[in-house]
Amino acid sequence: MRSLSRGITPLLLLLPGMGWLVVFFVVPMAVMLMVSLQQGTFDTGYRLTWNFGIYPEVIGQYWQLYVRSAFFALSATVLTLAVGYPVAYTIAFRGGRLKNALLLIVVLPFFVSFVIRTLNWRMILSDNGIVFGFLKDLGIIAPNFHFLATPASVIFGLTYNFLPFMILPLYVAIEKIDRRLIEAATDLYASRVQAFWRVTFVLSLPGVVAGSLLTFIPAIGDFITADVIGAGNSQVFMVGNIIQRKFLDSLDYPSAAALGFVLVAVVMVLVVVYTRLIGSDRLAA
Amino acid sequence: MSDQESRSQIELAIDNLMRRDLITRRTFMRRAGRGGLAFGAALTLPSLLAACATPGSSQSATLKWLNWPAYIDITEDGSSYPSIDAFTEQTGIPVEYNEGLLANADFLSQYAPDLRAGNNTGWDVMTPGGWVVERMARNGWLEEIDHSKLPNWTANCADYAKGLWFDPDNKHSVWWQGGVTGIAYDPNLTGREITSFDDLLDPKFSGNVGGFKDMRDMFGLALLSLGVEPVKSTVDDVKRAQEKILSVPKGHFRGWYGNEYYEPLAAGDLSISVAWSGDISQMNLYDNDKVKFIVPDTGGMRWNDNLVIPKGGANLDNAHKLLNYYYDPVAATTLSEYIGYFTPVKGVDAKIKADAEAARAGGDGASPDPGTADLYDALAPTVVPGPAQVANTFTDKEMTEEEEAQWNALFEKVLIS
Repeated sequence: MRSLSRGITPLLLLLPGMGWLVVFFVVPMAVMLMVSLQQGTFDTGYRLTWNFGIYPEVIGQYWQLYVRSAFFALSATVLTLAVGYPVAYTIAFRGGRLKNALLLIVVLPFFVSFVIRTLNWRMILSDNGIVFGFLKDLGIIAPNFHFLATPASVIFGLTYNFLPFMILPLYVAIEKIDRRLIEAATDLYASRVQAFWRVTFVLSLPGVVAGSLLTFIPAIGDFITADVIGAGNSQVFMVGNIIQRKFLDSLDYPSAAALGFVLVAVVMVLVVVYTRLIGSDRLAA
Repeated sequence: MSDQESRSQIELAIDNLMRRDLITRRTFMRRAGRGGLAFGAALTLPSLLAACATPGSSQSATLKWLNWPAYIDITEDGSSYPSIDAFTEQTGIPVEYNEGLLANADFLSQYAPDLRAGNNTGWDVMTPGGWVVERMARNGWLEEIDHSKLPNWTANCADYAKGLWFDPDNKHSVWWQGGVTGIAYDPNLTGREITSFDDLLDPKFSGNVGGFKDMRDMFGLALLSLGVEPVKSTVDDVKRAQEKILSVPKGHFRGWYGNEYYEPLAAGDLSISVAWSGDISQMNLYDNDKVKFIVPDTGGMRWNDNLVIPKGGANLDNAHKLLNYYYDPVAATTLSEYIGYFTPVKGVDAKIKADAEAARAGGDGASPDPGTADLYDALAPTVVPGPAQVANTFTDKEMTEEEEAQWNALFEKVLIS
């Protein structure tokens, strides 16, 4: 009797979590898979025909979009890390009494809707707006230079919008580091730089991994930035944009679902590779 | 201060907090219960009042109307719509006006599930474009219009505004407003006058050219530039049109826009773009008077939006009253003086000219207003499509689903390359 309850209890404790996962992940994935295998038209409705041929078709047509989106998301992740790490470090180590206020400032843009923030940046970065109009008046850049509707602008937009997703996990990880370890390192003849790389950074890796995942995964599927800041330009068209187009404009639900499913698969593969490289023991502090 | 000390400090602080304000579970539940009851009562009150209202008094039931943005007259401060207020005064029917219709295809995909199931979409009147009307009617999603309830339409509707390809007998729709898709450009930025669709593809303008993400508009203009009328086009023609659009250098089209081409064009980010006629009239008046609108010499696309009554609504009578109201010349004039698209009502241009005269003369205690008078004078001829315009503009093709899928597939290639 005792061993039986021991066996069941962990399972029962897992049930809420598993339930959540099933309802909000497994079921939608299954539905998306079913929709992608359907055929038919918008007016007459769709029927499940197990049309697996849609996958090669869709991948053949749009594989460049996946590569481009991965590239954009990766660039955005690297940039948010480069910008976010010093911020998180400063707040954690030097924040003192201002820690909470500084964290609030980091999160403050999130009080405004994602779309509105992106629209504001489109206004700021417009050809003759505050930034570029000024530079053009000074003669520093050519009169027909434009930043919007270029890949750089979309990467910039993604970096800006996902910065808090990187800063907060980094802060949590860095804050937990025991300062005495750094002291010990310097006592053992490490320079400040070495102490940083070999102690602080290594100990903050769980935060780096968490922040990277939280940035990369949404960024690869993002479509608003490419639409608003990129103006839908062909050079910045991402996977999210084609899924949106197929779902809302072309009303081609099976293709949209197939594209979505492939995106999930791509992201899972990349994440598995990443966590293997870093070492999954680092995920748990 | 080490972690240990700070933790115990926190624990002490929490203890103090707990001791000061002793909220037991009991008091919490009691307060929550009282608050919840009050909240629930407040919520049910409106529905109780509504239930108390005499059933079948459709006279006061609110009419819900879904329309595009910038498609109605509006007061200076943006708080109310004069023509709608006048309607409510005349008929006693309050109107809930919503500008949530932003794109035809999005609109269709959003309401299709409800319409297929026969549910109430939440709207009594909607204003979609022509091809959407054809599809909704074909699928049986629209109420038939009872023309005996629309005497104003029968008396005042212009010939160009009835019997169109998507609803030849006006069984399901009446014309709301119409316009032309053509090309807009700033002569200072392009350096020369623009006359044709090929100018849009001129490599000189690369990087500052705006395209439309509406597949029918974009392919329509391209087909016309190849000498093919969209109505008579085949898929091979569309392939040629696609190749023509793809023949430009990379990055030639700065973006593929919906209605949001307006700001970049007004700001000068785009020197030349596909555009809608009414937008440019408004741009000239309010934002940028240098931008010019032309219909390409090979032809532009003529379109219009339509008032329809979706199935599943409960306000059939009142919806008809609204449709009838906007075919009254007075209401139509108020509307056109504000939004400047093609009106379906006869005599509106004459009325606008009369208003221009009245503004110029003053009188009735009002001082002469030459600014408004000039505005109206310039506006009057543009609210009716002239014979030359009708001759050189063409309508969308009525497509089967397979054709539409083929066109869409070809257009997606344009968007991503």
